[in-house]
Amino acid sequence: MEVAPNGDQVPFTAALKVADRWLSRVEDILDLVAAFFIVFLMMFAVTQVISRKLFNYPLWGYVDIVEIVMVAFAFLGISYCQRLGGHIRMELLVRRLRGRALWIFEILGTAVALGIILVLLWYGFTHFLRAFQLGDSTIDREIILWPAKLIIPIAFSVLSARLLIQFLAYTRLAFYPDAAPVAIPVIEKFEEMAQHEIEGAIGEAAINKNDQGAPR
Amino acid sequence: MDDITIGFIGTGVLITLVLLGVRVVYATATVGMLGVVAMIGWDAGATNIGMIPHAKGSLYALSVLPMFILIGFLAFHAGMTQSLFDAARKWLGWVPGGLAVATVFATAGFAAVSGASTATAAVFSRVAIPEMLKYGYDPRLAAGVVAAGGTLASLIPPSAILVIYAIIVEESVGRLLIAGFVPGVVSALVYAAIIILRAKWNPELGRPITGFTWGDRMRSVPGTLPIVFVIVIIFSSMYSGWATPTEAGAVGSFVVFIIALINGMRWKTLREALLETAKLTVMVFSLIWGVLIFVRFLGFAGLPEMFANYVVGLPYPPIVIMICILLFYVVLGMFMDAIGMLLLTLPVVYPAVIGLGYDPIWFGIIVVKMCEVCLITPPIGLNCYVVAGVRPDIPLSDVFRGIGPFFICDILTLGLFLAFPEIITWLPDQMMNR
Repeated sequence: MEVAPNGDQVPFTAALKVADRWLSRVEDILDLVAAFFIVFLMMFAVTQVISRKLFNYPLWGYVDIVEIVMVAFAFLGISYCQRLGGHIRMELLVRRLRGRALWIFEILGTAVALGIILVLLWYGFTHFLRAFQLGDSTIDREIILWPAKLIIPIAFSVLSARLLIQFLAYTRLAFYPDAAPVAIPVIEKFEEMAQHEIEGAIGEAAINKNDQGAPR
Repeated sequence: MDDITIGFIGTGVLITLVLLGVRVVYATATVGMLGVVAMIGWDAGATNIGMIPHAKGSLYALSVLPMFILIGFLAFHAGMTQSLFDAARKWLGWVPGGLAVATVFATAGFAAVSGASTATAAVFSRVAIPEMLKYGYDPRLAAGVVAAGGTLASLIPPSAILVIYAIIVEESVGRLLIAGFVPGVVSALVYAAIIILRAKWNPELGRPITGFTWGDRMRSVPGTLPIVFVIVIIFSSMYSGWATPTEAGAVGSFVVFIIALINGMRWKTLREALLETAKLTVMVFSLIWGVLIFVRFLGFAGLPEMFANYVVGLPYPPIVIMICILLFYVVLGMFMDAIGMLLLTLPVVYPAVIGLGYDPIWFGIIVVKMCEVCLITPPIGLNCYVVAGVRPDIPLSDVFRGIGPFFICDILTLGLFLAFPEIITWLPDQMMNR
């Protein structure tokens, strides 16, 4: 198994990179859509408070609309989060593993994930189909429910594609442990996790601004 | 095979998968699905489980989560940290260890617009530590107080983790959020007390900061008003029920959002904050439906009921069992993130705790406080890593050493809550909408 240092000669490397890049674009858009719906919820709930408290005129079907909008931000970003390794897990063991042993455990974890998501994708789809065929709607304002239920199979389809890419990427590494990893999230050291938290809290722009604190 | 046996096998498989590093949402959903299918057959089981993601993902009570998360990500950009610290410094600087005491109360104030401990620690590492070092404060004290002060965010509303607890155990979100208020303030007071005592004993740790006039103090107040406004909205809405938690969270985040825009937040920063909010939101939602699939399975198996009966039947006083449960969380907290740890354990632990006669709201606060202690203790202690990350000049070992006295404070505070549960339950019991 002759392997170039950059891993470019390892089979599937280019294909994985391309697939990763394209899927990432879709995920970025979906996460942004989810973020949009979070902002929408903020505006909508503020409108509801003002309308109800100041004009004594609660918005009709407010809870119905929130419960539909929620599904968007509860699911659309799920694959984005998976790509970045954002879903919680216990890293006690995987932090201690290196090389092939690590990749084999990652293959196992990804296979479990892919299995359950495919099942949930199918049953989420039938759940949507029933709502679609019956014309199911919300209780209060009678908004049709199928579009919200369709979001879940869509989000799970993208997630399945992501998990498949990761499964192949880990398998590639299990065969060629010396190749450079592609299309998988790296396990962060605690220092890197902390750095991430700091960026999340303070943001890039503020780090260059000295008015928020003394220079480092 | 009877249902209880299937329940035990499922739990064993889940623990194994989680230890092997399978992400919690997939591990819980897989075991839950297979377990239910084993008990009631493939079609009925899978259809039943297949509806859970949508059912839980569209639960109105959960819609508050992204609002609280968004406030947290925007809070720093609203620039209120500096004014908060400035006011705290002018009002409290005169006591021994004054700047450190001011930091405690500034983090407590910031906690009222942020539900994230690590974020609070990060923000105040930049705002408060330079100031303390400038006045010759002991670097370990400076680092320790920021790391410890950050943990107040999880108790003082808005707190995402308390909402999650409320959903999992089916308690009122509003009551839990209100319940976090007094324990958060008590924790802050205990921190402040220990700083003052230590600085009195050894003035080298941190000298009082004097020379502010009453005029200075008064002029520092307006800068903190937006935070006061957010506190009043969230507190009063929960307390009197004039708005749902989601509505209160939305108004709060809207105010912070507007202030951040006025403060000159750029589109790039906003986009980052929104993407992070969406990512964290989907992570929490996934965890919730994943765990609730497992909970459905446990319910079918009758396991929580059995475990509760077993624990209640133990020939030990409830307080001993409670202390054992808390020690169990200390150990678990060494290896796992707070949210994951809560969600995985509560379905089984909670019914037992209630069976022992403890108050659900009280236990929620205790367990969240417990998780926070894990954020400042080795081996993970992420808050300490955050402080060391912002201040590379203070080594991690010094941050951990600086935390020592605050860790003792937290143990004292927990003991206080165990001895006098009324500290926690009094305020929510006064609420109108119970």
